[in-house]
Amino acid sequence: MIEDEVVLEARGLRREYGSVIAVRGLDLAMAAGEFLTIFGPNGAGKSSLLSMLGGAMRPSAGTVRVRGQPLSFSDHDWQHRIGMMSHRGFLYGRLTAEENLRFYGSLFGLKDLDERVPARLARVGLESRARFEVRQLSHGMRQRLSLARALLHDPDLVLLDEPYTGLDPSAASVLRSVLGELRDGRRTVVMVTHNLREGLAMATRLAVQVAGEFAWEGLNAGVDRDAFERLYHDVVEGRA
Amino acid sequence: MSTAGTRRAAIALTLAGLLGLVALYWMVFFWVPTEVNQGVVQRIFYVHVPAAWTSFLAIGFAALASGMYLWLRDERLDRAAMCAIEGGLVFATLVLTTGPLWGKIAWGTYWTWEPRLTLTLLLWFIFLGYFMVRNATEDPEKGKRFAAVVAIVGALDIPFIHLSVIWFRSLHPEPVVARPDGPTLPGDMLITLLFGVLVFTTLFFGLFLFRYAVEGLRSESDLRARSAA
Amino acid sequence: MTTYWKQVWVIIWKDLVLEIRSRERIASMAAFAVLAGVLFNFSIDTTTTRTQDVAAGLIWMTLVFGGLIGVGRTFQLEAEDGAFQGVLMSPAPKDAIFLAKTAANFVLLYAMSLLVLGVFAVFFGLEVGSNFPWVALVLGVGALGFVALGTLFAAVSTGTNMGETLLPVLLFPLLVPMVIYGVGTTTRLIAGRPFDEVEANVRMLGAFALAAVAAGAVLFRYVVED
Repeated sequence: MIEDEVVLEARGLRREYGSVIAVRGLDLAMAAGEFLTIFGPNGAGKSSLLSMLGGAMRPSAGTVRVRGQPLSFSDHDWQHRIGMMSHRGFLYGRLTAEENLRFYGSLFGLKDLDERVPARLARVGLESRARFEVRQLSHGMRQRLSLARALLHDPDLVLLDEPYTGLDPSAASVLRSVLGELRDGRRTVVMVTHNLREGLAMATRLAVQVAGEFAWEGLNAGVDRDAFERLYHDVVEGRA
Repeated sequence: MSTAGTRRAAIALTLAGLLGLVALYWMVFFWVPTEVNQGVVQRIFYVHVPAAWTSFLAIGFAALASGMYLWLRDERLDRAAMCAIEGGLVFATLVLTTGPLWGKIAWGTYWTWEPRLTLTLLLWFIFLGYFMVRNATEDPEKGKRFAAVVAIVGALDIPFIHLSVIWFRSLHPEPVVARPDGPTLPGDMLITLLFGVLVFTTLFFGLFLFRYAVEGLRSESDLRARSAA
Repeated sequence: MTTYWKQVWVIIWKDLVLEIRSRERIASMAAFAVLAGVLFNFSIDTTTTRTQDVAAGLIWMTLVFGGLIGVGRTFQLEAEDGAFQGVLMSPAPKDAIFLAKTAANFVLLYAMSLLVLGVFAVFFGLEVGSNFPWVALVLGVGALGFVALGTLFAAVSTGTNMGETLLPVLLFPLLVPMVIYGVGTTTRLIAGRPFDEVEANVRMLGAFALAAVAAGAVLFRYVVED
């Protein structure tokens, strides 16, 4: 890990919902250019973790820092550094693809929207659908738009919550290509997915989250897919 | 303040309050002179009015505690607010039951839209809203925050409600104009009233501290149960 | 500072565009305004009551109940799109989001209240005459206070498992000053009294509205966090 470029630093992250503990005392540090894929069964607290890393959810305990800046609720700078793509989409159904991007672009204070929005739409292959309302787009197209939205402001830290779920092959290949670009551009990515193949293909680091903590963590140095699958099941079932 | 300390203070205050209450009742029934217009029933006034003032104290206290809770996120502040609101609800209910009783006997009507009674009625609903919101969320922390907002906005609205109802009354004067609590209240009555306010305030805080201590114990046992899980 | 107001403006724009395209709240609020007028016609005995005497009260009650419909849906609609979290994760300050939502709701409610005035003119022959600008002002100020409190508590009630049904319980006690000052001044204005007579109370209504907006702007962030 390159020490001087710590992009994300989370310590002692904990999240409770009443008596349910979704995330328990999790630490995570990531440098520029690292790509972490988190695998894990449902209910392991992966979405809660991602929400806390993205500043969307206040932790019950612990801190998150992005480029040294803590995610406090009263500041409005750190939001520029984080981009999140959730399976919920964050898109307004009755706005067009273009309008959705322009809307978020304005919220992020971007000035060059006239150039940026068409360019980003083209990057995800949606330039022909710019004037279509989102509710008229297929799921795959919405996911692509969602990705464009997450990356619109060129964040340092990109968080992806189950981005491959329900994607058709062309959308998946767009996603794969964009993620590849992020990694090559030394952006930091944390991805939660059930898709073993895609998750292993992209990642520099891997983790398996079970019951609110990382039951297993490691580097992705040419890990064999079948071997990892076995490892995953062992970890989840408590044998490793 | 430790739980033991809180309990001791609670006992002390409540005992003082109860003793004061006995003294108050003695004053109300045997000492203070009967009011000329309404007769004996007017004596409810010495319970009714202090209870009303105590419920206003409750919302003010709860709003302050709530504001600090939102700022500092100390559970104890939220607990204090909740206990105050609970006490306020009790005293407000007292006002809303003694009021109509008094009204019916003294003036023949159960309800008048006089400022104090109206304000207490609305306050009662604000207290109710506090608990409804607090208990209606999946995440208890959310409920506490929502309830804090209810308490704060409620308290801020009180002056507006008070002024507007007074204006309303000036436009629609009721046939009965009862001002037994005006500045012209004679000495003995004033003393009894002020003593009543003191007693009720003491009682309120005594009961508040008991409730606060119990709630503290409950949250502690919850915490233990959770860490054991 | 200009980024702030740009953010506010773009959220207002977004809400109004969505409203125009779906017409959901516009339609139900407009229908409510007209239908309420119809029901009022059957509920008042015009042989014993002069409409002029009760009009102000009925207008304001229509405003309250119709406004409840509109405001209650504010965050429900956001939840349906699931996009609100994206807005919350943006750099837009929470008070900016609140002001924007309140402003958009205000546009809807104020339009409805003018429609109600029109409905009363048509159905009941209500004549406001030369005091119309003042009545329009009072309705506006009252509507502002309403939407500020309504937007704040709509966020609260949407976050509970009781949903919008909780909104009137929370809101109505707080609206008493608005109703009293609103109806009181409107009655006088409709009766032809000069504005000077009611000016002090319109100021109170204004103070109420400003306090509501300020309180909402400060407290909104605590409601929507998480």
